[in-house]
Amino acid sequence: MLRFENLRRRFGRLSVLEGVSGEVAPGQALLVTGPNGSGKSTLLRCLAGLLSPEKGTIEYREDDKVLETDERRRRVGYVAPDLALYSELTVAENLEFFARIRRTSPAWGFEVLERLGLPADRMGGALSSGMRQRLRWAWALLHRPRLLLLDEPFQNLDAPGEQGTRDLLIEHLDQGGLAVVANPSSLEIDRVAGHLRLG
Amino acid sequence: MKTISAWLLWLWVSLVILGAFYYAPPAEGFQGGSSRILFFHVPMAWASFAGFIAASVWSIRYLMTRDLRHDRAAEVAIQLGLVFGVLATVTGAIWARIEWGAYWNWDPRQTSILISLLFYGAYLALRGAVEDPEKRARLSAAYAILGLVVTPFLYWIMPRLTFSLHPEPVVNAEGKPKMQSEILQVLMASGIGFTALFFWLHNLQTRVQALAERKSAAREQGYGA
Amino acid sequence: MLQATSVLAKPSAWGSAEGWAAEVIAVFVKDWRCEFRTRYALNTLALFALTTMVVMSISLGPIGIDRTRGTKVLPVLLWVILLFSVSAGLPRAFIQEEESQTATALRLSATPSALFCGKLLYCLTLVGALELLVTPVFVTLMNLEVISPALLVGTLAAGGYGLAVGSTLVAAIIAQARTKGTLFSVLAFPVLLPLLLLAVELTFNAVAGGGGGVALPQLLLYDASVTVVGLMLFPVVWNP
Repeated sequence: MLRFENLRRRFGRLSVLEGVSGEVAPGQALLVTGPNGSGKSTLLRCLAGLLSPEKGTIEYREDDKVLETDERRRRVGYVAPDLALYSELTVAENLEFFARIRRTSPAWGFEVLERLGLPADRMGGALSSGMRQRLRWAWALLHRPRLLLLDEPFQNLDAPGEQGTRDLLIEHLDQGGLAVVANPSSLEIDRVAGHLRLG
Repeated sequence: MKTISAWLLWLWVSLVILGAFYYAPPAEGFQGGSSRILFFHVPMAWASFAGFIAASVWSIRYLMTRDLRHDRAAEVAIQLGLVFGVLATVTGAIWARIEWGAYWNWDPRQTSILISLLFYGAYLALRGAVEDPEKRARLSAAYAILGLVVTPFLYWIMPRLTFSLHPEPVVNAEGKPKMQSEILQVLMASGIGFTALFFWLHNLQTRVQALAERKSAAREQGYGA
Repeated sequence: MLQATSVLAKPSAWGSAEGWAAEVIAVFVKDWRCEFRTRYALNTLALFALTTMVVMSISLGPIGIDRTRGTKVLPVLLWVILLFSVSAGLPRAFIQEEESQTATALRLSATPSALFCGKLLYCLTLVGALELLVTPVFVTLMNLEVISPALLVGTLAAGGYGLAVGSTLVAAIIAQARTKGTLFSVLAFPVLLPLLLLAVELTFNAVAGGGGGVALPQLLLYDASVTVVGLMLFPVVWNP
């Protein structure tokens, strides 16, 4: 379960997040919408532990146990446009490396690759933008996270890609996972818990 | 209360200055009245060093509490440490010129203070290169602590090196002449005065910076100048 | 199928020492794999070091620096070459992660202490390779006679370690700032100075025939202190 209250974050003089609150329960997705610059990505970064909010609290529980920011950071599955993997490694080497870092098996990651139709022997630097997005999904799901933070998750994906990733998201929610999704271009699923409109 | 202590400080430092020129006699073994520089040079070096220690302590406190006020205190301490350190270096160089004929002698203390100036400058350069306040505070606090750990090595190494590496060691016997009690009194008083001056300036400057930040935040929210 | 329980199914892996060591190795292997495919750092280090040495050799040679003056100056030059080469090639270990935006992925997956040690190991091997290249060439080009080669090797090892660990930590700090290139030298020099002084003194002793004296324990203490401080500070530097 994820709950955040009164989040505040500024960049210099610009107040990007002001008094933002929300809650997500297992099996639910929170959609975050708003115009450009309204703080959607900033919110997701705060939730992921990549940014610390100036004010406010973020509470994340797994099995009734509150996880500190350091633990939460390693538990989330994060997809965002500015997340990159190593261009000097192949897709497979990337997944294996991160699996070792996460001390888990890369098997599920490879399965996701197969479902999304991404060849494992391509060089990271030789991927098209659609393939990169697929790789981001595989990386995010690698360690079977319970909380997915998705920033523009269907960006650059063609129809099969979008269908495949959407199926993965629905499965995730069906299994009791949570998700916060920003800029969902065309997401209509009935597990949406709420709508957070920023800006 | 603040005004009274400010006036007291002014009085104290004025007495120190008078004492330096009229009360304490010129020290033996030094040229003319040049030893009087010591009353200002040494305390400024102490204050500069105290600033470094204070900044490190505030940096540690920032990392433990993540309260940006500690970060501001650390930054101002380094700024003042730089100012006092530059003054100490310059007065030291002037005195060195009078005593030993050259502004710079690679004397261990001269070199140590120069290196701490490099530290202060590096710290401030780092701060200038990070825009986000939280990241800036975090990174500069880490660097200050790193500096704190590394500096003692300099103090251990320096005295040894000027003997072994340089052919004509110019040994500084400063601090070891038997001081007449008047000289010692003025020196101690000056030390107290300059340290108090340092922390008084620190207090002023942190408050000024805090006000400046509030002002720009208020202006941005449209409350007018 | 997503099995939500499987995330918690291996709690031991998170805290185990073998898991930590495997992480360190994974980071080390990844860095070298990427390095072998681009050879950026190796090329930078080698070219910089060789060019500097040639320039020094040419400028000292025709002047004909005599043996006694040489023994005093050359140890300094050796460490200057090492320091500047390291400044040119090492910071990339962290700067590259930030610039190619892979740092985000690392932040979300790696244990900070393991990441630091993995990067440190990588930087150590880079410095080792640099010293292996530079020292024989330097000794040959400058006609340097080394009286105690054992002390020289020891100094290169301990001093090289100090260069690596100090540079790794400073690189981690400046990687998140702007103007990273010049900032590294500005921040690293005061931190590395005690190390340089000790290393030069010991190299001088190795060349002229003195013992380790009090400098060698101090160098080892420096190495240990910076390592401990690095391990403590890195999580703070790396994560918000």
